[in-house]
Amino acid sequence: MRRIVLPGGLFALIFVVFLWGAVLYPHSGELPSAASLEAPSADHWLGADNLGVDIYAQISRGFFNSLFTGLSAAGIAFLAGGVLGVGAGYLGGWADLAVEFLISVFLSAPQLPVMIVIGAFWGQSRLNVICIIAAFSWAPIARQVRARTMSIRRRDSLRLARSWGGGLWYLFRFHMSRDVLPLLAVGGVGVIGRAVVQESSLAFLGLSDPLAKSWGLMIARCTGFRGIYFTPYWKWWLLPPVVSLVATAVVLRMLARALEQSLLEES
Amino acid sequence: MLKKIALLLCSFAAIYLLNFTIPRLMPGDPLDYEGASAGEESTAEASAEYKAYLRSYYGLDKPFAAQLAGAVGRNLRGDLGYSVHYRRPVTEILAQRLPWTALIMGASLGLSLVLGVALALVCVRHRGADRAIYGLLSGLAETPSFLVGVLLLFFVAARVDWIPLSGAVTPFGSYPTEWARALDILRHALLPVAALTAVTAPELYFTARASFLAILERPYLLNARAKGLPEGRVARRYILANALPPIAARFFLSVGGAVSGTLLVENVFAYPGLGTVMREAVKYRDYPMIQGVFLLSTALVLLSLLAADVLNGLTDRRRGGRL
Repeated sequence: MRRIVLPGGLFALIFVVFLWGAVLYPHSGELPSAASLEAPSADHWLGADNLGVDIYAQISRGFFNSLFTGLSAAGIAFLAGGVLGVGAGYLGGWADLAVEFLISVFLSAPQLPVMIVIGAFWGQSRLNVICIIAAFSWAPIARQVRARTMSIRRRDSLRLARSWGGGLWYLFRFHMSRDVLPLLAVGGVGVIGRAVVQESSLAFLGLSDPLAKSWGLMIARCTGFRGIYFTPYWKWWLLPPVVSLVATAVVLRMLARALEQSLLEES
Repeated sequence: MLKKIALLLCSFAAIYLLNFTIPRLMPGDPLDYEGASAGEESTAEASAEYKAYLRSYYGLDKPFAAQLAGAVGRNLRGDLGYSVHYRRPVTEILAQRLPWTALIMGASLGLSLVLGVALALVCVRHRGADRAIYGLLSGLAETPSFLVGVLLLFFVAARVDWIPLSGAVTPFGSYPTEWARALDILRHALLPVAALTAVTAPELYFTARASFLAILERPYLLNARAKGLPEGRVARRYILANALPPIAARFFLSVGGAVSGTLLVENVFAYPGLGTVMREAVKYRDYPMIQGVFLLSTALVLLSLLAADVLNGLTDRRRGGRL
């Protein structure tokens, strides 16, 4: 458990910084409150973008949007990976073959091109982005859960419970969840971090909700601003979303790794 | 092995089907859109007869299976449709853009391989270097490629005179010799390749490092050293040769990530490859073009997965190296 303290603390720090920006900080992340491209000052901590919208407020909203996207995608991947993995591993036979096939299709499909195609055809909304990311996240989780379920299927306690007439839900709750749930949780946390990065990649390509505040979109707008390289503006327009994105992705990855290792130590 | 190939073929079929079905699942169809005078809401809508005529002209009134069969037949003959935005056949544009993508992707994959293996060799020998490099590359592996590209753009390209900001060649440039031309292309490819290498190399480094560490503990290495073989020969014939198969397999597996990375990085540097075409196609809703790029990249990724599987099968000691 000690491993989780450092990444957990860092994540809490990031969370508090952005919570401050979203709740207590006086400026809006939507409406202009400063001069165009204003430099950082005591009033506007990180300056403003070309429309005069405060950057700190914007990246704070971007954080919660990213986190929401990540958590939703992770939730869907958690459920789908759990249901399909346990189902395939426990039932075997045709169900297993079908799930195995689905898993290998999703693992071998090139993610970004498929995401671009689906995003382009379904239109730009946050729901679509969440669905697309979730669709590409459940397969590795399902594969691990399936292997784990297969290995515990033949336990005596489980066979006895089944012979007494326990249904699949009962068996899962009392005989499998202790082995399977931690695996699912670790997989889910891993999804959050990757989803944050994938969301910003899609936003950078112009495939996420164009109205939502998103780090990828901010970076795309800034790099698309004519002649930005030769002005000082990028220092407060580009760097905040870039630093936030890298920091969040790295900290979430550290958290997932720490959870994974403490899980390994326990078993 | 055959099972693996069958599985990959099925995957391709499934992805192809998805690619074919998605546009047809959308509400409305292109004719409703076109019929309303170039997509704008207008009262002068096309008549029902005209729409029916267009629908049968494009074969959209046929049953789903017949449309699918037609599409497969056309694609097999190398006809991927007609780009709405560029007003040219999709295959022609793909053929024009693919070399640029292949150039930076191939260069960065090759560079990543060399760099990853070299760094892993250094790390295996020096404990101190190991810590620093391992930490650094773990962080880099989490950074999306387009961000590395953006940072390089601002910190390197904007400050160094001879490194261009975007494009693949100097516009309207004239070159006295072929060498000058090659140099120009190289200058433009430098940063995109660097950005891609920065995110691809860590994967290969991790695999190479694990592979080397596993081999260093083998008894045959002790034996080779005990025989008094020169250290260079031990490194080449014993360590490198035995560590190579998993690294090579990983190389093919990273093609998938490299394709995604290239599509993104090209957009950062406005590099005229498949990635920029795809982004423009998304912007203009140029569906045949999107699907063309998609099919090409999918085929590429699946082929490299197949190569990795074949390689793994060939080098699997347990089965005597048979497929």
